[in-house]
Amino acid sequence: MSLKNFSELFVDLDSSNSTNNKIEVLKNYFLSNDPIDNSWAIYLLTGKSNKRFISGRYLKNLFSQIYEYPEWLIDTCYQKVGDSAEVITLLLKNQSTTRKKKLSNISLNEILSKTIPDLSKLDEDEKNLQIKNIWETLPEENHLIFNKILTGTFRVGVSIGLITKSISKLINIDEEIISHRLMGNFEPSINSYEFLINKNINLQELNSKPFPFLLANTIEDKIFKNSINDFQFEWKYDGIRMQLIKRSGNVSLWTRGQELVNESFPELVEKMSHIKDDFVLDGELLVWNFKEQIAFDFSLLQKRINRKSPTKSIQIKYPIIFISYDLLEINGRDIREIKLENRRIELEKYFSKWQNKTENNISDIFKICDLIFPKDWPDAATYKEKSRENNTEGLIIKKKTSIYSSGRKKGIWWKYKVNPMQLDAVLIYAKGGSGRRAGLYTDYSFALWKDQELIKFASAYSGLTNIEIKELDKWIRKNTIEKFGPVRSLKPEMVFEISFEKIQISKRHKSGIAVRFPRITKWRKDKKIIDADSLENAYELMKKTL
Amino acid sequence: MKTKEEYLIRYKDDNLYCELADIWIDPSKPVKKALITHAHFDHFTFGCEEYISTRETAILLKERVGDNIKIKTFEYGEEFKVNGINISFHPSGHILGSSQIRFIFADEKWLISGDFKLQKDETCKQYEIVKTDYLISECTFGLPIFKWDESNKIANDISKWITNSPEKTSLLFCYSLGKAQRLLNEISQTNFKGNIYSHGSIHKMNNSYKKLGIDIKDTIKIENKKKIDELKGSLILLPPSLSKGSYLKNFKNIQTAFASGWMSIRALRKRSGYDKGFPISDHADWDGILEVVKRSEAKNVFFHHGDSEALSKFLVEKESINVLVFGK
Repeated sequence: MSLKNFSELFVDLDSSNSTNNKIEVLKNYFLSNDPIDNSWAIYLLTGKSNKRFISGRYLKNLFSQIYEYPEWLIDTCYQKVGDSAEVITLLLKNQSTTRKKKLSNISLNEILSKTIPDLSKLDEDEKNLQIKNIWETLPEENHLIFNKILTGTFRVGVSIGLITKSISKLINIDEEIISHRLMGNFEPSINSYEFLINKNINLQELNSKPFPFLLANTIEDKIFKNSINDFQFEWKYDGIRMQLIKRSGNVSLWTRGQELVNESFPELVEKMSHIKDDFVLDGELLVWNFKEQIAFDFSLLQKRINRKSPTKSIQIKYPIIFISYDLLEINGRDIREIKLENRRIELEKYFSKWQNKTENNISDIFKICDLIFPKDWPDAATYKEKSRENNTEGLIIKKKTSIYSSGRKKGIWWKYKVNPMQLDAVLIYAKGGSGRRAGLYTDYSFALWKDQELIKFASAYSGLTNIEIKELDKWIRKNTIEKFGPVRSLKPEMVFEISFEKIQISKRHKSGIAVRFPRITKWRKDKKIIDADSLENAYELMKKTL
Repeated sequence: MKTKEEYLIRYKDDNLYCELADIWIDPSKPVKKALITHAHFDHFTFGCEEYISTRETAILLKERVGDNIKIKTFEYGEEFKVNGINISFHPSGHILGSSQIRFIFADEKWLISGDFKLQKDETCKQYEIVKTDYLISECTFGLPIFKWDESNKIANDISKWITNSPEKTSLLFCYSLGKAQRLLNEISQTNFKGNIYSHGSIHKMNNSYKKLGIDIKDTIKIENKKKIDELKGSLILLPPSLSKGSYLKNFKNIQTAFASGWMSIRALRKRSGYDKGFPISDHADWDGILEVVKRSEAKNVFFHHGDSEALSKFLVEKESINVLVFGK
């Protein structure tokens, strides 16, 4: 029952690529540890809250200070390892002490509920001394976990789905139930674990929690063989996916990331609580341009996401709307097993009832999504191409006869996204990657021409294959003009095709533009830098989408 | 202060070269006279007129590349003269036969560490501390994040890894010469008592080690198309070159691991594509390099093989040791 077991669990999960294997490992862990430690394990593995107690920088400085280690040396090591917690763990091996490892039997619970939270009660000197003390009395194999929890960087390749599966196997109850129990806040305690593994299903307890979200798959060619009439078409909004729940009079707003966000959007909670019926709605939250009846850019939504208790003026400046596209439960009746086309009828019926009967007007904050009716598949493609005009990302295609199951089930919902915008740009800077890409140059900056000059316009790090990354890394090392810390400026020689979703004016950037989700889609070895696009080409693209 | 041209040993065409003796050390291109520190292929090239090495290295090399090379051999510690320079081989602890090479000329001592380690390894001679004025050291793992665990701990981890998955065949990738034999020696002292198979290239080296009097566990040479059930729960040693490509299709229900010092870093472990990494190396770790630098009493140190920037800076700042850089 100790931190040691959790460290072993981490090693086992980290060194397995097989899902079945991981499920087995998790099951065994749950079977052989205390409920309270299991509860913490789930809390950590699901990443419900990666609270950072101290920063990676702080950890490195502290180590440097305690053991009189040059900071530049720690930084050099960091470039190889890519993770502060791991660097310090590896360096600690050089500081082995003969002190008695009196923390060898410390439990995961004690570390997480006491040892670490207590640190924040201490003043800085005491805190540093205490961390040193823990390092020196904790067995070496637990250092990595401790440092990772401390810096809020604990992550391992385990999805919520995997935890769900292993608990479901452990107690032999449907995954959907476990998935539901794992939704939302999870406060680590004996009770929360016992609730999770309770073999009796109690609906009341599940009351405020959302249903597992049904996710869309990328469009597959085979869908085009079907009749267009088998499907429902909606715009794909670029907002926050949410379930809006009202049960027993209480409204709760849950994101797909399983966060309860009532506090960020009080005006929505307030308005919806006046509706008489109970319901669970699935939909998208957006900042809405009411004049033009289209969504504002996602960047405006970002102004609202992380702000709790927004002031009235913020609420007016960034007006939100909840656009619902599905009704999952109505007055206590779970209708997820009903066909989509019938759920849509219910949704429309209740929407018009609520619109007419509610004393306060809900239409300034809530609506149901409009449907699109393409004649045939080419027509659907035309709609998709037009999606940029109304600030959507394309279409969502849903099978009319489908039920609402959970996860990324195949053959139910598809996203039909508009083709990305592309520019050919020149690689001008590279930076060392972190985590699994440590030691390689994997973060790149790209530039476009402006007259005779190359102006940086985007940074991207995804899109190359591992082989290409290695090849490019070699090239980068040979073609560096200057080093600034971890960044290298490079001989302008390599051209890449950069794809992105959106382009807009930005005063913060020298180029005057900002692009969304830039990624590398092709290494254009066939192109010379003179063939790369100019900023003017970028402005053209922007005009087209305005 | 000497100029670069006046050093007894210097870099020439990316290789270590002693002009006075017209002799090269582990050259990467054909030359007249080549001193070979050990029998790994990245330290050997075909086509030299004459090779000089320890007796063990010569035997291993011939096993690997055939009898068609001319090698003169010496025992450890035995001095020989080339153009008035006294040269001798000394154990470097890297693999069987591996050596450091010492040059003495006009009261000035030079030592080329070769690849070396200080850790325990029962399959070869322990590293010998040799005093010198100038030290040319390898620096493969020249950062303090590299700190090796005892090799029996790693062997126990390997043993546990195999026995915890009795339904699987465990493929352990490791270099055919040196690492494989060291692992066999260590693993035979653990609780794992199942069958051990080895790939042809490893099997051959095992036999060479045995001929040279090193007692290592017998392994079964792995044949293609073995019955899957037969391999369940056993260990197979394979060279890393087989980890990618179709070879693995010969097996079912496997788990893979790589034994290498680089596996101490999680990012590299993840990127390697193996299920598991066992950090065990035949090179010195940071402390090992520092210890050799200190105990050799060298006043001047050069590094080659690996990124030595940090190690050099550290020695200059913290230990006040004169670290020199070879001109290319």
